[in-house]
Amino acid sequence: MFLRRVARPLMMMAKVKETTGIVGLDVVPNAREVLINLYNKTLEEIKAVPEDEGYRKAVESFTRHRLKVCHEEKDWESIEKRLGCGQVEELIEEAKDELKLIGHMIVWKPWGIPDDYECEVIENDAPVPKHIPLHRPGPLPEEFYKTLDAVSTSTLEDAVSRSKKDESAIASGKQQSK
Amino acid sequence: MERSEHGNRSDTNTDYLFQLLCFLKLHTYTRVQVSIDICGVDYPSRKRRFEVVYNLLSTRYNSRIRVQTSADEVTRISPVVSIFPSAGRWEREVWDMFGVSSINHPDLRRISTDYGFEGHPLRKDLPLSGYVEVRYDDPEKRVVSEPIEMTQEFRYFDFASPWEQRSDG
Repeated sequence: MFLRRVARPLMMMAKVKETTGIVGLDVVPNAREVLINLYNKTLEEIKAVPEDEGYRKAVESFTRHRLKVCHEEKDWESIEKRLGCGQVEELIEEAKDELKLIGHMIVWKPWGIPDDYECEVIENDAPVPKHIPLHRPGPLPEEFYKTLDAVSTSTLEDAVSRSKKDESAIASGKQQSK
Repeated sequence: MERSEHGNRSDTNTDYLFQLLCFLKLHTYTRVQVSIDICGVDYPSRKRRFEVVYNLLSTRYNSRIRVQTSADEVTRISPVVSIFPSAGRWEREVWDMFGVSSINHPDLRRISTDYGFEGHPLRKDLPLSGYVEVRYDDPEKRVVSEPIEMTQEFRYFDFASPWEQRSDG
């Protein structure tokens, strides 16, 4: 009973997350530390990618942003609210997947796209009949646009065509699909 | 090569298919974790006649993307089962229906055709009624396959309007 009285003010400091609401995704109590570890590891691993690759710039950009937010905010709720990217457990999943992907990229080495490579984009403006529902995807988190700017207005003289062809295709595809 | 219309479609080379799908699945800004469908299309007039289509869904960003590769009869595409486990049956179906096989697929068997069936049904050169018919033969007490015998010739309806009933044949 004495322990409970002491424990109660301590519990008030950080709200405990009951459940993520997603089946199969367990609550991670020390999410902030895990995230900081993962992001630091990501920034270490991405150094193996050549410097002027769009992939490296993009990953560094959003990882640094997320790491900054994690350092500044002390508990998971304010991290979630500030980043706007879903729950901290989902962020942990994303960071782990990105680490896997960096490993793959280092093996496959999709670098060295020539500067004037343009993806052939065929625009089809055929109108959709009115009775068909269009599911437009929601707005992307704002750091995506910051990352896109960071990649397109790169420090070097070349523009978007420098980045990996997939990423530019996906980025332009995402924007056009909105 | 990509097209943006009611939905996004991306064409890729068979060499890079696995890498592209892996990137799409794992990258933070393209979290495409769900593979909805894998199917094939037969364009007999093209040199690489088959097109394998991967329909993918990103639940995180609520968007779909379609990735297409072209293949001919002898091209072997890389299986994506390690990325999307649900793709196992779809790849078997593409193999069964079109004949586009996969390298190192963990389990490539026929899925929709009969056990001794020869040929790939959804290719455009296999006729609609097939080549063999099967029937139970009572004296032999088993199912036999025989070349097909159709009592009526295949009727092709080509009406100018639904109300006119001029059919040839």
